[in-house]
Amino acid sequence: MKNKDDYHLEDPSWCRGCGLFGVFDAFKRAAAAQDLDPERMVVVTGIGCHGRLNNYFRAYGFHGLHGRVLPVATGVKLSNPGLLVVGVSGDGDAYSIGQGHFIHAARRNVGIVYVVVDNRIFGLTQGQVSPTTEMGFVSISSPYGSKEFPIDGPKLALAAGGTFIARGFSGNVAHLAGLFEKAMNHRGFALIEALSPCVTHNKINTYEWFRKKIYLLEDDPGYHPGDKMEAWTRLQDSRRMPIGLFYQEQKPPFEELVLPDVHKSIAREGLEVDVPRLEKIMEKFR
Amino acid sequence: MVSLRKGQPITDISVLIAGKAGDGVLFTGNVLAKILKRQGWEVVVCRDFPSNIRGEATSTIVRASLDRIYSWGDCVDILLAFDCQAVFKNVQTIVRGGVVFCDGEGVGAMPDHLKKGKTFHRFLLRQLAKENLGQEVYKNMIALGALSYVLDLDTQIIQEIISEMFLQRKGQEIVDKNTRALMLGWEKAREMIVDSECHALTRTEDQDRIILSGDEAIALGALAAGCRFFAAYPICPASEIWQWLAVYLPHFNGAVVQTEDELAAMNMAVGAAYAGARTMTSTSGPGASLMMEAFSLAGMAEVPVVVAHVQRVGPATGTPTKTEQSDIGQWIFGSHGDFPKIVLAPGTVEECFEFTVKAFNLAERYQCPVILMTELDMGQNLRSAREFHFDKIAIDRGRLLSQDELLGLDNFKRYEFAANGISPRALPGMKNGLHMVEGNEHNEKGYRDEDPEIRRRMMDKRMRKLQAAAKDLIGSQVWGDPRARLGILGTGSTLGAIVEAQAQLAKKGIRTKFLQLRTLWPFPVKETEAFLRGCRQVFVVENNFSGQLSRLIKSQVEGCPRFKNIVKYSSLPFKPMDISQRIQRAGR
Repeated sequence: MKNKDDYHLEDPSWCRGCGLFGVFDAFKRAAAAQDLDPERMVVVTGIGCHGRLNNYFRAYGFHGLHGRVLPVATGVKLSNPGLLVVGVSGDGDAYSIGQGHFIHAARRNVGIVYVVVDNRIFGLTQGQVSPTTEMGFVSISSPYGSKEFPIDGPKLALAAGGTFIARGFSGNVAHLAGLFEKAMNHRGFALIEALSPCVTHNKINTYEWFRKKIYLLEDDPGYHPGDKMEAWTRLQDSRRMPIGLFYQEQKPPFEELVLPDVHKSIAREGLEVDVPRLEKIMEKFR
Repeated sequence: MVSLRKGQPITDISVLIAGKAGDGVLFTGNVLAKILKRQGWEVVVCRDFPSNIRGEATSTIVRASLDRIYSWGDCVDILLAFDCQAVFKNVQTIVRGGVVFCDGEGVGAMPDHLKKGKTFHRFLLRQLAKENLGQEVYKNMIALGALSYVLDLDTQIIQEIISEMFLQRKGQEIVDKNTRALMLGWEKAREMIVDSECHALTRTEDQDRIILSGDEAIALGALAAGCRFFAAYPICPASEIWQWLAVYLPHFNGAVVQTEDELAAMNMAVGAAYAGARTMTSTSGPGASLMMEAFSLAGMAEVPVVVAHVQRVGPATGTPTKTEQSDIGQWIFGSHGDFPKIVLAPGTVEECFEFTVKAFNLAERYQCPVILMTELDMGQNLRSAREFHFDKIAIDRGRLLSQDELLGLDNFKRYEFAANGISPRALPGMKNGLHMVEGNEHNEKGYRDEDPEIRRRMMDKRMRKLQAAAKDLIGSQVWGDPRARLGILGTGSTLGAIVEAQAQLAKKGIRTKFLQLRTLWPFPVKETEAFLRGCRQVFVVENNFSGQLSRLIKSQVEGCPRFKNIVKYSSLPFKPMDISQRIQRAGR
């Protein structure tokens, strides 16, 4: 069995108290609990404070462009479906510049674990509002208060046909790690939005603020994550904020639909030039 | 149904088929092209169609010759028009002695000077189709029947093609109806026209020839080269590459994805190529603009990805169904930062195939993006070509390590400061190969590093790859008389018109040489310098407004002589005479 140090490459240098520490810890715990081989894992990150995760988490890593985690991760998964592909984005990466890819990855149900670390602010660029920032929030980009209504990623994923929709809290590492484990075993696109306070630029949505609002879906014995309408109702609750697995369903993953043989790598197998077959195809141009 | 009449023997003929989008103009032209090819003729098709589905003027020229041709020529011998407007629109391109068939009234109203020297026939294609076959759609096969009489085509060949097209898909009944339509057209033409209006096309052996578009040749090249992943967003005139691969890739253990946009297409291609699949995307100008950021990522992360760019008229949405060469600098200078890239520009259908095969090897050998730059005229129009040789293809994956090689290493460095810049490569999932791939500047292990010295050395390492590639690139080709003092430079599909213009000039005693630039980046400086040496006059021929190729050459070659730019930006390809007349005038 592995332990979480097997995935620890380096101590992070995020701001002291950053929610990303909780996400990092939960991720390592889940990987250890699932006994994952770091060499069979690819972590694709976007641009933002979360993007440093590759420097700390031991696995194959790809740190690409702002907002393009999901297309890159989709390409990796299709090229080698045997890999566990984890995408990590911030709220800006996922819901602002990368929004288009988000709903399409959800509808395709491509086999990626997608973690959106939501701190409701642009941290790396020094504190502008993000698409999840609340109306009225004062920041360097909104000195008179934000004039825009926030959007809700899990709701979008639900509407787009997402098959695994969960929300966790970086202040509850054990619970978040449990969600990661479930996501790693899900066939298809698994969204985990991790509420994650930014201690430097967001003085409103603090650990305390989140703790007052959140409750565990799992504590409600009447809640079953198979009912879309029920999931929607919980996501609509503006006074309280449930965390846990909102919704899960089984649909064939994209890689199984689009690849001729999901067990045969398109990266290395069957590349030899099949002259007779190619010549037969050329006959169509006679 | 074999004709015994004597027509005029000819070696070169152009047929223009014109009507409205939805009339089946392009279909008729492509079938005619195929028939002529099977009779042993060289064929070039030039389609001129609008970017809508129905209603607007559409035409296609089918040119055939006993000699190797690459362009649509200068004029038209026969016009087959599905309506009178098509006659009005195109009558001026018809040669003296030309024949016009028109399905409709109103040609009589045309001014006499336009009609002079041409024969006009009312040919009621739609009516014949409805009365004899019950459906208007057979008008196209009736038209082909008429043309087969006029050109003395081998109706046996046409019947073979009809069977190939319809037997499997639609059944014997449809084959029979089309055959009847064909014969009807043939008979009607025989009743209508005199021998002097006919031609007798020599039949030669059709040995090693195929007929296809550049897009199809690129797709077939990709398939043969081991492309196994393709991601793209629909766009004219590149979609044919994808449509073709969508059919065949799944049978070759490959996958095709239609992405949500070109941002996703290029990033997905980068992801798949990073994980090891030989990967391609295709696009045109607007899509390329969206791909630029991820193109830069591929350069920084040293990911081997191939892009086929089929140029259309710009800027903005431009004219999506017409040809241009106005994106020449897009992949060379269009993205942010300095990074190595290779841009190839095929000038013939054969080159579309060969360069695509080569592109995949270059991409993996030098671990950088490789772009195939072509144009709508090459990408979408059918041309006869010599058949492709698959047995000569060798797949070279460069410094991609095997699992055993990787296990033998103590300290694998994905971005090692290699002498030639080409570092060893491992794929995610391999043992002992853990590494990081970064869009940020990084060290030899791939991890983010902002040390100025590391930055300088990593930049040098990446750029050194192009020096290593220099000897491996596709050289330029000189056409015509290498000792001529009059030089012409061009790239891509303008080759056809340029080579024919050279022949026209040679007949008038003007000797020329033509440098076909087949690699645009890294720019072939030495070859161009050698070519320009001894030139008294230099013309640069290109399908754009501002002389983009001319500027590219001047920016790379020191001490260029003064260039005369021959540009065309009407959205149509060059005719040979566009070039030869300009050169002749300049020489006076």
